[in-house]
Amino acid sequence: MIAVAAGANRIDPYIIPALDGVAYGLLVFVAAAGLVFCFGVANILNLAHGTLYAIGGYTAAALLDGGWLSLALALAVGVLAAAAAGVLLAGLLTPVATGNHLTQALLTFGVALAGGSLLVAGFGPDDPQVRVPAALDGSVVVAGHRYAAYRLVFIVVAAVIATALYLTVRRTRAGMLVRAAVDDPEMVACMGVSPGRIRAGVLAAAGALAGAAGVLGAPIIGPGADTADTVLLLSLVVVVLGGLGSMAGTLLAALAIGEIQTLGVALLPSAAPFLLFAAMAAVLAARARGLATSWRAT
Amino acid sequence: MSFTTPRRSRALTATLLALVLSTGTACAGDESGPSASGSIKIGLLASLSGTYQAVGKDIRDGFELYLATHDGKLGGRQVDLVVADEGNGAQTAVPAATKLLKQDRVVALTGIVGGGSVAGVYPLLNETKVPLVGSNGRPELKDVSRVWHTSYLSDEPGAAIAQHVRDNVKGSVYAIGPDYQGGWDELRGFTDAFAKIDGKLANPDGKTTFTPFPATTNFTPYFARIKASGAQAVYTFYAGSAAVDFVKQYAQSEIKDIPLYAAGFLTEGGVLNAQGEAARDIFSVLNYSPDLDNAENRAFVAAWKAKHDGSPTTYALASYDAAAVLDRAIAAAGSDPTPEAINTAIGQLGQIASPRGTWQFSTTTHSPVQKWYLRQVRQDGRALSNTVVGDLATIGR
Repeated sequence: MIAVAAGANRIDPYIIPALDGVAYGLLVFVAAAGLVFCFGVANILNLAHGTLYAIGGYTAAALLDGGWLSLALALAVGVLAAAAAGVLLAGLLTPVATGNHLTQALLTFGVALAGGSLLVAGFGPDDPQVRVPAALDGSVVVAGHRYAAYRLVFIVVAAVIATALYLTVRRTRAGMLVRAAVDDPEMVACMGVSPGRIRAGVLAAAGALAGAAGVLGAPIIGPGADTADTVLLLSLVVVVLGGLGSMAGTLLAALAIGEIQTLGVALLPSAAPFLLFAAMAAVLAARARGLATSWRAT
Repeated sequence: MSFTTPRRSRALTATLLALVLSTGTACAGDESGPSASGSIKIGLLASLSGTYQAVGKDIRDGFELYLATHDGKLGGRQVDLVVADEGNGAQTAVPAATKLLKQDRVVALTGIVGGGSVAGVYPLLNETKVPLVGSNGRPELKDVSRVWHTSYLSDEPGAAIAQHVRDNVKGSVYAIGPDYQGGWDELRGFTDAFAKIDGKLANPDGKTTFTPFPATTNFTPYFARIKASGAQAVYTFYAGSAAVDFVKQYAQSEIKDIPLYAAGFLTEGGVLNAQGEAARDIFSVLNYSPDLDNAENRAFVAAWKAKHDGSPTTYALASYDAAAVLDRAIAAAGSDPTPEAINTAIGQLGQIASPRGTWQFSTTTHSPVQKWYLRQVRQDGRALSNTVVGDLATIGR
């Protein structure tokens, strides 16, 4: 308290939480992007999204051995496994009419429960250990404070992923098709692109993103019995805060969640239990359509 | 947009509702067999699914280990052990206990991970007059005439380590824990005892900092506050995945050099494997450690390691002891071991030899009067393990 009150040092205790909020927010962004993508583009509400993240997390725990090679391997395997699970989900969802959200929710939630049990049965009820490359398994000094090296590197990597995602959606043909499918699904179908293929592609991409987030984020939100629920809930909050239309909205919402969960808690610890949902309610009250407007405005 | 806003929000409401409703669903597994002549039926209720399944499985395995090493007999009688799933709490535990008590008509009940589950099952015990020899959770109960616990009371670990922390830390101590009944009890045990011996808390308002449970997965903001408080040590209690998150983040935070003292559950069992190197040097207080040097413990650990990977936990030990208590009580209950006779016999057991050292039931709380040990996470061969570094107080009331 003495240090906090000492004028110049007033900001000092909050530097690390603020930085950590960026790391946490970017993780939430990469984890939630797939769900937003699915919901906004393919109009599929995928409540098994958290389970896709958990697949990545468990892959990381199983394959990482403290070396760089194992990280590359875990990333490849985690992305492929989660993407494959996404395609499987697309197959299961084929008979469900597009836009029938309640049926989708029940089906994918059932898959999430079954998948969660399978993961626990396969990997055991205990939280597994995640071993990051030895070079990152320490802390570095940032502005006079110690901070986990892995998280610092994660900020850079997640920023690269976010940029790549943005460029893919804006600049590539696949991205254009996807954006076209939001604007006018009938016209895209008329162009000879099967909606089923778009659905499978979108769910595979969402799975790949969740898998990548699961592997890279395992040291931050680690694999365990309740990981899937945590990630799903955070992703749903991103959907509510950021809306469905734009990547900028999703990024903004994810960063807001990160800062609320770290800087917000550091500033107002007594409000920690409801800070996130109070912020969500405040945003909804002020702007019923989320933090940003539509996809087209991006 | 290809769909309207009201439809979207309706779907989201439904899914959030589904999410809320689904937490806490689990099914009870039952495998009752016909009672052979001269045999005796014991009911074991533990979380075999859900959040606490790691603890629940240790409790089942501890009891089964005692049976396996004693020819499947308790008090000279063949035991028909009926195992049921407690799930996540009272909601699932009560139907499972009802089945054990009313359908299987067990003579004694054991296990039960959650304090909330014990509170839920408690009225059934009074109704059926069957004793409970619980091996973990212990809530506040008015009348303990049929309730016995081989574990501990939640405020005892903190009370046992307070003097050691006072003697060894030069300065104030920051107290932090999870915001639920178990966390309140564990931390109150420490802060009350610490205040009595003029210990000073570093928390800005002089009160323990409680973190939302189980929502908190990122402890960095709290570490920043601990740093700012100038604390010379931290006392905490977390269990399960929160313990993993707390310890791993602590080791990489700016307070990594501040000594960490904890109730033993922070580094007990499976969580220690997940924490790995991050847990090194943490001090904790517990009523058991697998490296205790006594004959009972050597036999217990050897028998455990023959069947399982890793060392036994305090959860497995408490359940093993529950079997030992029932073994002696059933033998003492005479030719007709009714639930009533077993309950009376438990009250007259006196000293009980155990891998944790000798202990006995308190006559007022029916929980152990036992010694607590100071442990530190140290290298043991290839793995890290909780190593006893000293004896703390003998506590029980």
